[in-house]
Amino acid sequence: MDLVTVKGLSKRYGGIVALSDATFSARAGEVHALLGENGAGKSTFIQILSGAVRHDGGSILVDGQDYRPANPDAAQARGIAAVFQELSLIPDLSVEQNIWFRHEPRTWLGTVNRGEMRRKTLALLEKYNFPALRPDRELRRLTLAERQIVEIAKGLAKDPRILILDEATSALPAREADWLLKLTRQLAAEGRLVIFISHRMAEVRAIADRLTIFRNGATVAAHDANAVSDNEIVAQMIGRHLDRLYPERVPTATDRIALRVNNFSSGSRLSAVDFALREGEVLGVGGLQGHGQRELFQALFGAARAAGTVELWGKPVSIGNPRQALIGRDGIALVPEDRRGQGLLLTKSVRENLTLSVINRFTENGLLSRQKESDMVKEMVDFLRIKAGTPEQLAGTLSGGNQQKVIFGKMLLTQARVLLLYDPTRGVDVGTKGEIFQLMRDLAAKGYAILFHSSDMPELVHVADRVMVMRNGRIAATLEGEHISEEGILRAAMLETRAA
Amino acid sequence: MTVERTAEMAQRPAEVKSVNPGIDWRGRALDRAPFLVACLMLALIVAIYGSLQSGVFTLDELNLDTAAAMTLMLAATGQTIVLVRGGIDLSIGGMISLGTVIAATRFTDDPSTTALWALAILALGFGIGALNGLLISLLKLQPFLVTLATWSILNGVAMIILPTDGGSIPSWWVGFASAQFIGLTSPVWMLLALLLFWWWFHATRVGITIQASGSNEKSAFLSGVSITRVNLVTYGLSGLFAAGAALFLVTQTGAGSPTIGKDYILPSVAAAVIGGVSLFGGRGHLAGTLIGAFVLTLIGNLVFVLHVSSYWQPVASGVILLLSVLASSIAEKAARSRVQ
Repeated sequence: MDLVTVKGLSKRYGGIVALSDATFSARAGEVHALLGENGAGKSTFIQILSGAVRHDGGSILVDGQDYRPANPDAAQARGIAAVFQELSLIPDLSVEQNIWFRHEPRTWLGTVNRGEMRRKTLALLEKYNFPALRPDRELRRLTLAERQIVEIAKGLAKDPRILILDEATSALPAREADWLLKLTRQLAAEGRLVIFISHRMAEVRAIADRLTIFRNGATVAAHDANAVSDNEIVAQMIGRHLDRLYPERVPTATDRIALRVNNFSSGSRLSAVDFALREGEVLGVGGLQGHGQRELFQALFGAARAAGTVELWGKPVSIGNPRQALIGRDGIALVPEDRRGQGLLLTKSVRENLTLSVINRFTENGLLSRQKESDMVKEMVDFLRIKAGTPEQLAGTLSGGNQQKVIFGKMLLTQARVLLLYDPTRGVDVGTKGEIFQLMRDLAAKGYAILFHSSDMPELVHVADRVMVMRNGRIAATLEGEHISEEGILRAAMLETRAA
Repeated sequence: MTVERTAEMAQRPAEVKSVNPGIDWRGRALDRAPFLVACLMLALIVAIYGSLQSGVFTLDELNLDTAAAMTLMLAATGQTIVLVRGGIDLSIGGMISLGTVIAATRFTDDPSTTALWALAILALGFGIGALNGLLISLLKLQPFLVTLATWSILNGVAMIILPTDGGSIPSWWVGFASAQFIGLTSPVWMLLALLLFWWWFHATRVGITIQASGSNEKSAFLSGVSITRVNLVTYGLSGLFAAGAALFLVTQTGAGSPTIGKDYILPSVAAAVIGGVSLFGGRGHLAGTLIGAFVLTLIGNLVFVLHVSSYWQPVASGVILLLSVLASSIAEKAARSRVQ
């Protein structure tokens, strides 16, 4: 018998229909992938399952019994736990306090039994072979990847029968992502149902037994994983055949140097980096995660202190803070790693997010020109094809891909022509990914200079003109032309070779 | 099929295992830097005070200063809970005023009547606080605005009950503040009780949930926390402690005052901030707040023994507040760079 059966599920937010007709069934002991573009309704679907929001219509049966959780607690009581993409962790609590939050073992005084909690934490981490974590470290001191791992531990701590993993691999480096895929199979083998959401087809292929495809708030198809081809899946996701994910790469780089960096160091993770980024070029930054890529981007943007020289369009500059980095056509703009935390104000409208850092461009004699602003916003929304009801829609209610487009728009409106893109496609659906790559090549053709980091290696291989591979805070190699390959990047990232 | 697929996948195990780590002393020191700074500040002030005045390092002095600081300490205890929740409670000013005027008009020489009224004041404090919490949650209003409004309302009610300072407090109630047990007066015992309370409270699920809601409300909600209930308890406790502050305050003044409460609103926040409690929620301990309350109280003593105008006291308080905030922010930066 199916463990979960969903029929005709619907949910609307005001005038926006997030889910119109979702159908879903899954058995215990399987890994069930949920596929669909951003905005297809996957997030709403799992939010309903996990008790974060309540559905308007349709029915859910769990174990053949009606299921309508009033809140996340009620969902957990029925054995359903979610590992949210939008993390449900508390920054000021420690790793172990987060894992056991509201389920802490207690003493007779009603206080948390720390010894017992530590023991249970280590047992849990041991049982599922977790990557190393310090249980007593405060969460806000952890990297994004480590937080994701804690979130997974928190989900498992409830010993759920149904575990929902919402793009849990997207924040993880390769080795941890592999670990999670293995773990997912292990959980299914233990007789649990794992509902797995990922935009990486290879992962879905590696672990899913069955898959359900969503489009525009409704279920379009469900398949056994080995009975359907990648092309069919993608066609069903986007409702048409996607010609190609990666745009044609026509070299557009000129001899003009847009950004030259010499002897550039920041903290202990970035030491003495030299490189030059040319006008019209997409320069990839690769390597294993945590080898100085983040520090490079942050320091270039002025968000971290750095030593060394930086030249923009031939002029030496010193970038002390992001405000200085942003200014004008000769500036630098960044698409940050954590779009929810650093890039977007979720409770502000699309318009406000777009124009926040460029408010000066719409002022005349010190007053804000609404007309100028709304023209500019409309132009950007059209150009990037941002799917929002109106520019006044709150950014937090957009799908992940559209949020990322808003950040791109915000960046383009600064008029800066040196763009720093830090993992711009993380958690973005296939269709939007293609649009972003095309956009990058178009911008390069217009003379923009783009520094591009991605945690997904094929993206670097197919989109960048050159790829710098970082290792231990240095540039281990710079690959060009036919030397750009996943193998080449990995070799440079992992082996002790000299820079080419 | 699962077996082959799993075998196909990279089988590299994680290299390092999570082990029971030792205590990260440096990390802890950095985390508690604001508190340590507050301790240093208090030590400095006590040292200066002690060099100017004889008899500072005696039990008598401790008893006196604790009595002088206890009203603020009680008010600041409630404020600390609210600040850790990520809110602020201005209404404690109104509650303290209201508490003193009810006490001054209702307390009698009959202990049982007085005890009943004292309990009623405490219950009223909790109730009004809980109402604050409900309004904040249900109407989705800013804590600042809601508590500003209730402060005004409570103030008005206090004025209606007792328009000017006056009334009377039975002497046996006043005597409570100087009662001694094993060489220490009751305020010192109350101080210890407050610390004990916090040691217990912040380790309970309720305490952790309040802290978590202040640290990241959305995450707390997604973890199953009822934000309405959290606000109800948080502001309820704040009102309860404000009522307690009123009951203690009348032992010092011997009368009721419909306007006295406002003198404790901002100092209660200042004491907490000096002690390292974050205004953004999620961080802070009562021990710091109590040190902060001592610092603010002793500045008054210091100004007195230096024979300068008492107007210098708020100036000095402000400077110390700024220094504390600066110290916390430096410590926070140091802690952050340590991670990267």
